[in-house]
Amino acid sequence: MELIATHGLNFLYAFATLALVVLGLAVVFGLLGVMNMAHGEFVMIGAYSALAVQQAGLPFLFAIPAAIAVCVVIGWLVEWGLVRHLYKRPFDTLLATWGLAILMREVVEAIFGREYQSVDQVLPGTFSLAGVEYPAYRVVLMGIIAVLFGALFAWYQRSNAGARVKAMVQNPALAAAMGIDTERLARWTFVFGVTTAGLAGVLLSPLVRVEPFMGLDYLLSSFFILVVGGLGSLEGLIVGSGVIGGTDIFLSALFDKTSGYLGVLTISIVFLWLRPNGIVSRL
Amino acid sequence: MKRRDFVKASISATVVSVLTGGSFGARALAAGPVKVGVLIPLSGPAGLFGPSSRNCTQLAVDEINAAGGILGRQIEPIFADVGGPPADATQAALQLWKGDGAEAFIGMHDSAVRGALTNLFKGQVPYIYTPVYEGGECSAGTFVLGETPSQQLEPAIPWMASNKGASKWYLIGNDYNWPRDTNAAAKGYIAGTGGEVVGEEYLPFTVDNFDSNLAKIKDTGADAVLITLVGGASVGFNRAFASFGLADDVARLGTLIEENTLAGIGAENSVNLFSSAGYFASIDTPSARSFAEKYVAKFGADAAALNALGQSCYDGMLLLAVLAAKAGSLSAADMDAAADGTSYEGPRGGATMSDRHVSKDIYLAEADGAAFKVIATFADVGAGDNCA
Amino acid sequence: MALSLGYSAAIVVALAAVPFAWGSFTAFQLGLYLIYGIAAQGVALCWGRAGFLPLGQALFFGIGAYIVGAALKTGAGWAAFAPAIIAACVLPALLAGLVGLLVFNRQIGSGPYFSLITLALAMLGFQLANALDWLTGGFNGMTGIPGLPGIDPFGSYYFVIVAALVISTAVLALVASSPFGQLLSAVRDNEERLQFFGFATHRLKAASFAIAGAVAGLAGALYAPHQGIVTPQTVGFLLSAELVIWTAVGGRFGLLGPVAGAVLIGFMASGLRNSFAYWEIAIALVFIVVVLRLPAGLGGLAAGLLGRFVPARSQLVRERPQLVERSPDAGNCDLRFDAVHVRMGTVEILNGLEFTVDQPGVHCIIGPNGAGKTSALNALTGRLPVAHGDIVWRGRSLANTRPYLAARHRIGRKFQVPSVFADLSVGQNLDIALWSGRLAWFDYLSPAPFGWRTGALDDLRDRFGFLADETRRAGELSVGERQMLDFSMTMLAEPHLVLLDEPCAGLSPAETGAMIEAIAAISADTGLVTIIVEHDMAVVERLADRVIVMHQGEVLTAGAMDEVRADQRVQAVYAGGTK
Repeated sequence: MELIATHGLNFLYAFATLALVVLGLAVVFGLLGVMNMAHGEFVMIGAYSALAVQQAGLPFLFAIPAAIAVCVVIGWLVEWGLVRHLYKRPFDTLLATWGLAILMREVVEAIFGREYQSVDQVLPGTFSLAGVEYPAYRVVLMGIIAVLFGALFAWYQRSNAGARVKAMVQNPALAAAMGIDTERLARWTFVFGVTTAGLAGVLLSPLVRVEPFMGLDYLLSSFFILVVGGLGSLEGLIVGSGVIGGTDIFLSALFDKTSGYLGVLTISIVFLWLRPNGIVSRL
Repeated sequence: MKRRDFVKASISATVVSVLTGGSFGARALAAGPVKVGVLIPLSGPAGLFGPSSRNCTQLAVDEINAAGGILGRQIEPIFADVGGPPADATQAALQLWKGDGAEAFIGMHDSAVRGALTNLFKGQVPYIYTPVYEGGECSAGTFVLGETPSQQLEPAIPWMASNKGASKWYLIGNDYNWPRDTNAAAKGYIAGTGGEVVGEEYLPFTVDNFDSNLAKIKDTGADAVLITLVGGASVGFNRAFASFGLADDVARLGTLIEENTLAGIGAENSVNLFSSAGYFASIDTPSARSFAEKYVAKFGADAAALNALGQSCYDGMLLLAVLAAKAGSLSAADMDAAADGTSYEGPRGGATMSDRHVSKDIYLAEADGAAFKVIATFADVGAGDNCA
Repeated sequence: MALSLGYSAAIVVALAAVPFAWGSFTAFQLGLYLIYGIAAQGVALCWGRAGFLPLGQALFFGIGAYIVGAALKTGAGWAAFAPAIIAACVLPALLAGLVGLLVFNRQIGSGPYFSLITLALAMLGFQLANALDWLTGGFNGMTGIPGLPGIDPFGSYYFVIVAALVISTAVLALVASSPFGQLLSAVRDNEERLQFFGFATHRLKAASFAIAGAVAGLAGALYAPHQGIVTPQTVGFLLSAELVIWTAVGGRFGLLGPVAGAVLIGFMASGLRNSFAYWEIAIALVFIVVVLRLPAGLGGLAAGLLGRFVPARSQLVRERPQLVERSPDAGNCDLRFDAVHVRMGTVEILNGLEFTVDQPGVHCIIGPNGAGKTSALNALTGRLPVAHGDIVWRGRSLANTRPYLAARHRIGRKFQVPSVFADLSVGQNLDIALWSGRLAWFDYLSPAPFGWRTGALDDLRDRFGFLADETRRAGELSVGERQMLDFSMTMLAEPHLVLLDEPCAGLSPAETGAMIEAIAAISADTGLVTIIVEHDMAVVERLADRVIVMHQGEVLTAGAMDEVRADQRVQAVYAGGTK
């Protein structure tokens, strides 16, 4: 019984953190059509922001403004120097951001070194939940993510911001006629996307390994979540995170981790093949 | 200087053989420096160990050269990056061998690269493979320094059983040869202590979520975990392990948890974590201390942290020197003939070669915050059957 | 880009001279990069030519390598190698072809989904190669693979690689300059239009992917004896990504660009990695700059600099010496919409549409905006799913058919917005229309179809003078010319039922006159059924033998122009129903 409850909580945790990490890619890929292969590297930048704050002897919370500042600057520069030239060339954005990812890894390595870093636990100890001792910080993190997404949903429903961004980026003539600066809109959308990735990095940093190559962990699963769920909608992101996280946890619990991994790949292939618009598709 | 004593001792054989080598020594002297190809990862995930490997190699080269070199010739190390896939490593090694004229090789890299290199060298050039590995390498001209699973576990598992009460083991590793072979060996030693294996799982390299494994570890009531996850996976697993509050009740033993991995795991997550290896930076013997002091003196306090993998390159260079001395030549065939019984003293203690492997001292260390404290030393442990 | 024989010979001689000029070590190194380059040539075929990006090409490379590795390990030498190298090409080709068929059959276009599928497959392949210890040797690899008997991997094997490169380049050059190659360019350019000429584009794409798989398998087959070891990395994501990078840097539109990319980056990496700590930054920067500034890669730059861009044979002005016979005429021309319902979400677009055409001639569908006119044509050609009812053409149901099948039933379609192959020349556009329904399987790789012409082509050239200049890019034509080219292509396919959606939209009055005259003349000459959706009543009046009035997804009335005009319901709809 306790085992099942643990697996259940593990599912919720995987679900929440996947959704958090994918959010930025959903914005950048779903709304702008940019396959940002450096997405994981922005998560890494967030984690290293937390590390830098720790090394400076400041409290963990300072990492949040630090990561926002760093990601906004880098995101702005990347959009201005790289991505904006490639909006009509999806495969080229994929390649260029792959190069960017290598560049970001190497620069971080030059500054912080190749070695594994440890960001201190924020809330050590466990918390009793549904009869299970569960890490306290994870419980808090799930709460934060739930609140974040709740707020996002409320705002999103009201403003329908996603659809507007998408329509404008895809139809600059119309947007221009309405007096909207699409270039600026696209730039800040990109910056917003990579900044949420950075924030995810900050929040996850006490839990995960921190090293220059860590971004690769988040990249591919993020793409699979997006295509399984459906591009361009918050619901799709939630459903995708649930399906991918659920498949992994369920198969890993039932059999082993390799089955979970193969299951995620297989389900991604099947969805990409049979339902490329995802579960929550908007025609 | 006192701290150099052990090197002098280990190298005296070399010098003597050069001096008594007569015409051979003279000819070798005329041939200029011995170029030794040093194949270490400088890029890719294992690139983490590049700087310490390079430093340790350099340290050994300086000392051997100061004592007269190999067969009277000075050593000139040529470093190459083998952090990529085997095909890239082959290119790099071939460049050193055929292009730059390297006469011997020292390699600190994964087994896939080793397979490519033994195929490349085909016993025509001496090749010393230094890191921890799964055992079984018996190619001509190849000499292995690294700890084999039986070396690490034969003493460590009984120690864990009698001192930490480890009886129900959960085995977790990455899905490849080394963890599988290590666990195969482990099962025998666990059975020998009357313990049982309650779970065994191998994870793909890309996995970064260990929650289901942790749930199973808790559910099976395991009281010890044998960890053969590598690098980042080991860091992630151990952090999650501690955050679930398992650390106090379940002992962890790793056979590739070195100083960098421990730093990534973090001081607060390292309670009740043990590591079995042939070297730790904190080994408290005169030779190990003197080695660490020299390392800091030469490369500074901020240099890449000492660890078993990096340090193995130092021993690799020592072994090359004594093998060449005993064989009286740098030919792989001569070394093959002379290898058995070759011994040397290094920071790790004494080592004696048989069957292309070395028997040596093994240390069991417990994590104490972000550093290791050696709590048991097992003298002269054999490498097991490798060339059956 | 087809290379002249002279250049090719010079390159081969230069490659063959490498071991003598720089020694066998450099040749060994170059050999590996050439092997990678062969695999990258396949990536270029898919990406540069057909427009879809395979992100998991190492899967096929690795399969080839493991097959040949296992065969050589039996110790049977050439007796094992010969069948193994064939299997190493055929099995990856079959696998790639199957994957391509399954995926492309469901998805038109070349979006990222296919790329992600191939990526996931390569990751699966890596995991399997890693886990199936007994078969592959696991992570440590399949080791101790012997070289070919009598051939030194560090010596003469280099010439085997060069020979294989020559073969793969020759085969791919043949493919690129064939009708098949031109059709792949058309897929990249405008896949849907190609389907309306009866080409099963998913099969074309799958075939090109299969060729790329075979080429990757060949490269893998060469790799095994070259390296003596095959590890899971040869199947994995990183090699796949590198193949794409080499292709991008070298140039995806040519055959030698990808090879040059692999060689250049290979030597750059091996030269820098031990001497320059930040070599990966340097390579990443080169890569980013190439993507940003040189979308055609260094190959494109070189071609531009040399001013020696030799257009493919099909792009040259050429004779069309071979007059192809007109295909036999229609027997009957019965078309029936039988209570057809089409829904989009909750909206009924076609609401029990019912009409019959059983006479040749021009039938005009008119009706206010949103009446479902274009949707009726879409349902007929498989562009919209039919929820209820049936569409029957010559006794055969076409409900829920697919565009290329509709085209094979001799239904031609011209969209309202002119839809041509903008990147191709006028001549190539005409080729594709002429080939519609005429290419036998052996014609796909034969040069003969480039010389085809028909009576209809001669006639259309007389009508539309601009068609005579076959070298112009279709994208450079005016809107009116594109309308006429599109119309000409539709008619060159010799359909028996032709669907024209506002054929005169965007035309000048003079052009409108020419177009109307052409439609009337061709319709009268060939006795085909023409259905025109039209708003312009002047056009309707001039052309229509019969008028069908649609309103709210149904037929309001049908008959001669005068009858329809007199119908009060029609007047009511037009008075109140339109803007």
